Amino acid sequence: MSSTTTQPDTSYLLRKLHSFTGLLPVGAFLAEHFWSNSSALVSRAKYDATSQELQTIPFRLIVEWGGIFLPMLFHGGYGIYIWLRGKSNVSAYPWVGNWLYVTQRYTGLIAFAYIGWHLYTERWLTHGTSTYESVAMDMQNPWYLTFFVVGVLASSFHLGVGIWNFLCKWGLAATVRAQQAAGQFGALVGVAFSVVGILIILSFRFDWHPFSAYLPPTK
Amino acid sequence: MAETKQVIVSVKRQAGPKEGARWEEFSLRWRPSMNVIICLRDIAENPVTRGGQKTTPISYDSNCLEEICGSCAMLINGRARMACSALVDQLEQPIRIAPMSKFPLVRDLAVDRQFMFESLKRVKAWIPIDGTYNLGEGPRVSPEIQEKGYPLSNCISCGNCLEVCPQVNEHNQFVGAAIISQVRLFNMHPTGAMNKSERLAALMGPGGIQECANAQNCVHACPKGIPLTESIAEVNRDAWKQALLGWLAG
Repeated sequence: MSSTTTQPDTSYLLRKLHSFTGLLPVGAFLAEHFWSNSSALVSRAKYDATSQELQTIPFRLIVEWGGIFLPMLFHGGYGIYIWLRGKSNVSAYPWVGNWLYVTQRYTGLIAFAYIGWHLYTERWLTHGTSTYESVAMDMQNPWYLTFFVVGVLASSFHLGVGIWNFLCKWGLAATVRAQQAAGQFGALVGVAFSVVGILIILSFRFDWHPFSAYLPPTK
Repeated sequence: MAETKQVIVSVKRQAGPKEGARWEEFSLRWRPSMNVIICLRDIAENPVTRGGQKTTPISYDSNCLEEICGSCAMLINGRARMACSALVDQLEQPIRIAPMSKFPLVRDLAVDRQFMFESLKRVKAWIPIDGTYNLGEGPRVSPEIQEKGYPLSNCISCGNCLEVCPQVNEHNQFVGAAIISQVRLFNMHPTGAMNKSERLAALMGPGGIQECANAQNCVHACPKGIPLTESIAEVNRDAWKQALLGWLAG
């Protein structure tokens, strides 16, 4: 058989790339982002040190654009294209998977809009030098605070369902049992990210540092 | 004497693909074990609406009446299912009957499901056993593969899985779960496996397996209980391995 017959269509490759970028690097970045921002739960100084560390990584622009912004732009942009090619029918067939199909699209759009705004306010307006102080200031605005909460919940949900979709769609969880387990794992990730994200927001809003006891006592 | 029990049926009528649609209501005499096909036959026997207006018999496809030929799929109370196994006593009345929406309409409840058959041809959903010379005996099929394959071979190409799929619509030529499951069936057969890469390549073309978005409606709608989501996952794994590793490992 000629090799040309086994070549996949471009739409196949783009679709696979969309699925893959959702997990790597976008999902992985969300994990890194929440991890780094958790520093705020220890202390203001710890947060500032962590952001200083990240703000001074070598090849910063290349890492930011190549590893974060462009993959996100592709994942979000192609995601909208996929949405437009689907036609929801959840009112006729209100099954769980069908609901997740719909919510995955709305949470994706909310997360995409939120991330754009979040980048603008915390990355562009601060020229990439945001501090605990500058983020805490933004959190005093009730509209900002609401958008932060909505954005964190939408992103966490989208990642949780995305992990389930990824495991099913790459055939890593094929049997009914495996797909149930994949769904439980995705739910666990979604809930864990939601909780951590909300804790970080609370830390900034109320100057709250529950892990400050980890710090050596000051004399 | 007790009044005879009636069955109220509302049918979406359309004389042709370009004609306007209307609903007609019928009142039929209830009988035990009545199904939706019996209702349509009763209407054909006496095509008079509930309001006493004379009308024409309803066009529809059906054949075996035992959920094995796959021809009588339609929307019954808004849900895609086989009319022959839709029992009147289990349905809310008036029973609303409409044609499937994802296939071109022929007339009334009859639709043209040629798209499915073209897709089956596209993925070579068969096992080549004939040649210009005697090909001899094929390899034996292990009992394990026989057991896995049997439920997949129950597919009746009714099209319910396409009808309920949000990814099958006018913007999207997605082949649907049934076709992907058939690819799995023929790829797992030792003789069929000889065309495995061709089938996978066809499924990675436009409207191929990539269009599945994991809503998983198909597996709920399948009248034969085929593990469609499992089939899609299995074929997905084979497909990306061929696409992404094929050019590396050969």
